[in-house]
Amino acid sequence: MATGQTDAPAGGDPGLVGAGTAARPATGPKGAGGGVRPPGRGRPGWVQVVARGGVLVALLLVIVAFGIARPDTFLTTNNLNAILQQAAAPAILAIGLTVPLALGEFDLSIGAMVGLGGASALALITLHGVAWPVAVLLALGIGLLVGLVNGVFIAYLGASSFVQTLAMGVILLGVEYLFTNQQTLFSGVPQGYKDLGQSDAILGVNIQIWLALLVAVLMYLFLEQTETGRRIYAVGGNPDAARFAGVSVKRLRVLGFVIVAVAAVITGILITAQGGSSQPNAGVPFLLPAYAAAFLGSATFRPGTFNVPGTVVAVLFLGVIQTGLQMLQIATAWINIIQGVVLIAAMLISRLERKHA
Amino acid sequence: MSTAAAPRAGVPVIEVRGLRKTYPGVLAVDDASFSVAPGEVLGLVGKNGAGKSTVIKMLAGLVTPDEGEILVDGEPTVLASSHAASVLGISVVHQELALVPRGSVAENVFLGLPYPRRAGLFVDWSALHRKAGAVLARLGLEVDPRASVDGLSVAQQRMVMIARCLAWDARVVVLDEPTASLTDDEISHLLEVLRQLADAGVAIVYVSHRLEEVLGATDRVVVMRDGSVVADLVTATLTKQTLVAGITGEAKADESQTVHVDRAGRPPGAELLRVTGLTRAPALHGVDLTLREGEVLGLAGLVGAGRTELARVLFGVDAPDSGTITVRGKDVVLRSPRAAMKERIALLPEDRRHQGNDTARSIRENTSLPTLRRHRGVSWLPRPSAARERAVSEEMVGRLGIKARDTEVAVGTLSGGNQQKVVLAKWLVHGADVFVFDEPTAGIDVEGKADVYGIVGELADQGKAVLFISSDLPELAAVSDRVVVLREGRVVAELTGSQVSESQILHHCYGGADAASA
Repeated sequence: MATGQTDAPAGGDPGLVGAGTAARPATGPKGAGGGVRPPGRGRPGWVQVVARGGVLVALLLVIVAFGIARPDTFLTTNNLNAILQQAAAPAILAIGLTVPLALGEFDLSIGAMVGLGGASALALITLHGVAWPVAVLLALGIGLLVGLVNGVFIAYLGASSFVQTLAMGVILLGVEYLFTNQQTLFSGVPQGYKDLGQSDAILGVNIQIWLALLVAVLMYLFLEQTETGRRIYAVGGNPDAARFAGVSVKRLRVLGFVIVAVAAVITGILITAQGGSSQPNAGVPFLLPAYAAAFLGSATFRPGTFNVPGTVVAVLFLGVIQTGLQMLQIATAWINIIQGVVLIAAMLISRLERKHA
Repeated sequence: MSTAAAPRAGVPVIEVRGLRKTYPGVLAVDDASFSVAPGEVLGLVGKNGAGKSTVIKMLAGLVTPDEGEILVDGEPTVLASSHAASVLGISVVHQELALVPRGSVAENVFLGLPYPRRAGLFVDWSALHRKAGAVLARLGLEVDPRASVDGLSVAQQRMVMIARCLAWDARVVVLDEPTASLTDDEISHLLEVLRQLADAGVAIVYVSHRLEEVLGATDRVVVMRDGSVVADLVTATLTKQTLVAGITGEAKADESQTVHVDRAGRPPGAELLRVTGLTRAPALHGVDLTLREGEVLGLAGLVGAGRTELARVLFGVDAPDSGTITVRGKDVVLRSPRAAMKERIALLPEDRRHQGNDTARSIRENTSLPTLRRHRGVSWLPRPSAARERAVSEEMVGRLGIKARDTEVAVGTLSGGNQQKVVLAKWLVHGADVFVFDEPTAGIDVEGKADVYGIVGELADQGKAVLFISSDLPELAAVSDRVVVLREGRVVAELTGSQVSESQILHHCYGGADAASA
């Protein structure tokens, strides 16, 4: 993996002793080799196809499998609707997370941000009598602020993203408790707010699904089709080269943290709107699935690159497995184990393609 | 060096026969056969892409040949891993420094080897340092084994890597471009050390683009071209011309390494850039220089003289402590590369691998990165049009002679020279008035160098100013209209006209009269 070029790479090492650049999680911890080989060199075509479309193929396969196993219940409109609805809020978080990951950064505060986002909106409404649209805007504002603080501390003040966002997560959890007194908030939630998670006014499809679709399309266009998106990937690929090409690396890093924090608040709002209540510490369980989806997604379509379509397919895949296994009445313990194994297997398949090229 | 033993009789320590390696679409090595005997220094030369690196990787156990065999002490051997190669006494000093930056010299020397222990459990640090000190002494390297390697100079770091070979009791040491970014003094010391190793019976394979060194330091030279060994000759029978001819495969060697820059020869025009009292501790102490339209200003100096540091300040990467930068008569503050680009200053960084390109991305995407805004399909939509980007990058591929299947291939698959041209392409597309080239030809083959010189000449003819930094003094003397010599962060000489010569530059690099008489 470390040396991947056909002939002598650049000379003239200026005395950097194997400089490490920012983490690129999906391509493995060894960024030091620099040269990433062309995709799929030295591997038969079918490996490429499996590796690139693997998660999509797997998604279709599990849908068919569960459809055969539970023909009466699994492939019903109601059930598919339910799966999509359940996947919608986590999908928005995972899509948001794709941006800092594409920049070569990561954010461990997003789980707590989900919790604080939903809790702050509900607390403002139920405890302080704020009109729900204003409460939603204020909650989004908190997300913006948190993202800015994370981004500025990391990009401009040189904090490590690991420590900064881990600490921020702890802080956000504390702030959430301050807002809610660690109580479950449920009384006096207006229907308008609940509709954000429950309405199916558009074609009978739940509003969360529409929202997730909208976010996915917008973020896809943003990352893949705009100048800013191209610069984001350039920073993730080689931050020094990007800076030397005039890219404002620091600003983009801040932007990445802002985007994921706002996405986390949206996720938190949808969850509390759907349930009409806010439980203490409800956000943290969203952290790991978001990473699982983003990493699984980075093994799809464009192996080695965090990308929105991959993330979306991965969220659906993980959601379908969860629901399907529940329908087969498999114990939660086994569902967890199966999901973990599937994740590792998917990563291995995607690495196959790039190994030994 | 003349005391060197001619190839000794007996079994070669390594012999390769009919090595072949293909990657899909690329024939990296077609037919490579050669051998090296104990005590022999073998030069291995060829253009980038000739297959040298792949052969080295096969010897290092990093790449398995498709066909052919490797014989160690006359026995066919499979080198399944770099550890296997090391155990058999084959050590490779790769071009990139493979050191643990925060580790001590001693730890790096004994990396991968068992450390001496106390009670079979705890590392015996004093014994380790003692053993490392003994190895370093053999190389004449005066550094504290306890020192951290990231505080060492590039030359010292390379010596640490050679020390590692000794620690492994290497019988074959393969060096890939060991003298890149070393000063002349350091180079001659390195070559001396290699000769001592050879005299002690170690076989040395010396891979370099610097033909003078190869001619001066080796007993025999193997020339590779297009994946095959095309010549295997005793060095004493060779001249630079015949070597260049062998490398390029041209019957007539048009003195490719003797640098030619065809220039219209117009006098320099108006002043573009002026630097006054530029200081940035600890590297720069009051640098003054000016750069005019249509001029190539060479910047000479030993490693550590402040050349790269100056280039970085001029491109807004680092901020100066004091001093002014004046562009077209206006004082400017360059807070970032973006700010420098607005003043139409461009930099080709020395550290191409880390600062040049995103090697996983295509030629197209790298070329258009500084100019994305200009490639919109629709003027009001911030969406780059791939077709427009492709058109621009294809033009550059043609103009700079970048060898690639198309503009969609990842830059990481290109040779070093072609990667450098992609960096250049960015700036030609972007446009600039002041081009700073920091060691643009380091690690680039003969043809690639000629292409770079051609572009430098073209830019100057177009009225651009070029600040050309190079450790290759014949090149610097040939390319530059004027040369400024830096020493310890200060301008110590400015050479013009007939003063621009290798010996004059060298004289001033080493401290003028004092050093010359010493």
